[in-house]
Amino acid sequence: MKQQLERLLANLFGLVFLGLSFLVTVETVLRKAFNFSLQGAAELGGYALAVGSAIGFALAITSRSHIRVDVFHERFPPALQAFMNWLSAVMLGALGLFLIGVCWRVVVKTLEYGSAAQTPWATPLIYPQSVWYAALVAFAVYAVIHAGHASRLYFTGQREALLVEFHPKSAKEELKEELDDLAQRTEAGAKGNA
Amino acid sequence: MSTLAFSFTFLLMIVLMLLGLPIAVSMVLVGAGAGVLVFGVPFLSSTGAMLWGVLNDNLLTAAPLFILLGELLLRSGMADRMYGAMSAWLSRLPGGLLHTNIACCALFAATSGSSVATAATIGTVALPSLHQRKYPMPQALGSLAAGGTLGILIPPSINMIVYGSLTENSIGKLFIAGVIPGLLLTGLFMVYVFVNSSLKGDVPRENLPPLNERLRLMVHLVPPIVIFGIVMGSLYTGVATATESAALGVVVALFFAWKAGRLSWTMLENCFLQTARTTGMIMLILTAAFVLNLLISLSGVAETMTKAVTSLGLSATAMLLVLILFYLILGMFMDVMSMLVATVPITYPIVTALGVDPIWFGIFIILMCELALITPPVGMNLFVVQGVRPDSGGIGDVIRGSLPYVVIMMVFTLLLMAFPAIVTWLPGKM
Repeated sequence: MKQQLERLLANLFGLVFLGLSFLVTVETVLRKAFNFSLQGAAELGGYALAVGSAIGFALAITSRSHIRVDVFHERFPPALQAFMNWLSAVMLGALGLFLIGVCWRVVVKTLEYGSAAQTPWATPLIYPQSVWYAALVAFAVYAVIHAGHASRLYFTGQREALLVEFHPKSAKEELKEELDDLAQRTEAGAKGNA
Repeated sequence: MSTLAFSFTFLLMIVLMLLGLPIAVSMVLVGAGAGVLVFGVPFLSSTGAMLWGVLNDNLLTAAPLFILLGELLLRSGMADRMYGAMSAWLSRLPGGLLHTNIACCALFAATSGSSVATAATIGTVALPSLHQRKYPMPQALGSLAAGGTLGILIPPSINMIVYGSLTENSIGKLFIAGVIPGLLLTGLFMVYVFVNSSLKGDVPRENLPPLNERLRLMVHLVPPIVIFGIVMGSLYTGVATATESAALGVVVALFFAWKAGRLSWTMLENCFLQTARTTGMIMLILTAAFVLNLLISLSGVAETMTKAVTSLGLSATAMLLVLILFYLILGMFMDVMSMLVATVPITYPIVTALGVDPIWFGIFIILMCELALITPPVGMNLFVVQGVRPDSGGIGDVIRGSLPYVVIMMVFTLLLMAFPAIVTWLPGKM
């Protein structure tokens, strides 16, 4: 269920940027070759970034991609490591709530003033901002669930699980992922050539 | 906000980071915390408006697009096939396959922004055959670890996009500025391999395959070179902005992947997930850095610190020397991207007030990041290369092998200080 949701979000993210790439390519070629501009590719690019970043914030949680420095961490006694892992998860949840808190004012102000983008399209900003805000809320919910899970492990004394599931990502792990992917590619390449 | 209070705040942030809290959390906690203490709740409304401004800035859209481009080239296997083609041409030089390592890393770097992927891919292909042919291991490992660092200097470079965004400098100019230093540093690395191998007498050299074989292998160099050419060409001639050139690159990469028969939904899904995660990671620390940036600009602390530094009568050169030391030490413990975003908001105004060119300083910072990748105890590339080696030596070999490259990079940095035109000449022609 969780994996399917993540895949869905990642595919949405990827297709948005792939679509954007095609649009921008067409726009750039038209502009240079025929001096004709579609206008709006840049504007859409901005919105794609805002929404895509928020989706990325959420997806980076599961892979523990949000960077933590582990040089001292790995020398800490296990009890302290477990505490820092728990605290990091909770603080990430708090960061999610902080973001939806401060960005809520932005959305409210847009509604109050009926603001529109300063672009040829004059898009009412509430459209892109609501999607952006929804993605930020998704990140916050995700981060809070993650923090809840860490807290349950911490307060029920499951330190081992906390050390395994929540530790900072090491170079070794990142390398292993790259090597696994490389092995798959080589296999696919061999099949392709056969 | 006084310089003393700010220094304390900055120190607190570094301590939180080193304790192992997420980098983004440490920056927001300290930035927003100090902001509210100094300016009260209005600081938070400014934060929200600023965040929307930063996150929907189309200039930064270059970041996810370049990450996607690198992923496409990597996951479709296009980058993997470069090694064979490169070694067919370069391995006759004294130093043999070590040249191939460095040149291949440089070309790989030109297409991908990830040094882990660079060192892992090239290392996996190269190290077993280097081991088999009895190349001295420390030298082989060092050439790969150092070669991998070229990834962030040779454009496209995500680190440069982040620097450009934080300091409001043209990403296109930064990319173009990275070209000559990138090529020069690659050249210096190869000269070192050449001289070192020749001096030792025991020169590893490979026999060249026949010419038609060499020409046939060159096919594998076409996609990365064409893509690099399109991206940098469109930028340099002003046909496209950085974001547009990235989009062009993505479309062309898709075409090459399709032509090689490697375009599958599974491959795309994998690229999408990796791109989303890397984007999320980078954009969150960048978002956090902007919160810190807001504190710095509202409190005027940058001006105060700049005045303090200039009143010391420090010359630009002296200041840069101090910064080299500062980054060398910080880079031993901190992740490269985190180091960049946490320090640039403070060092940039000081250094530019002393008359240093903003684009030049960008390249300087990138070099400091490169150094951080191969200085122990936390040099990411050292661990990566150690992780792919086929024999069972200790990490000391990698550190020893990389040390000469650390020295070369330091000397290179001094060279750029003496001749800043190496950096500023090409972007000046744009």
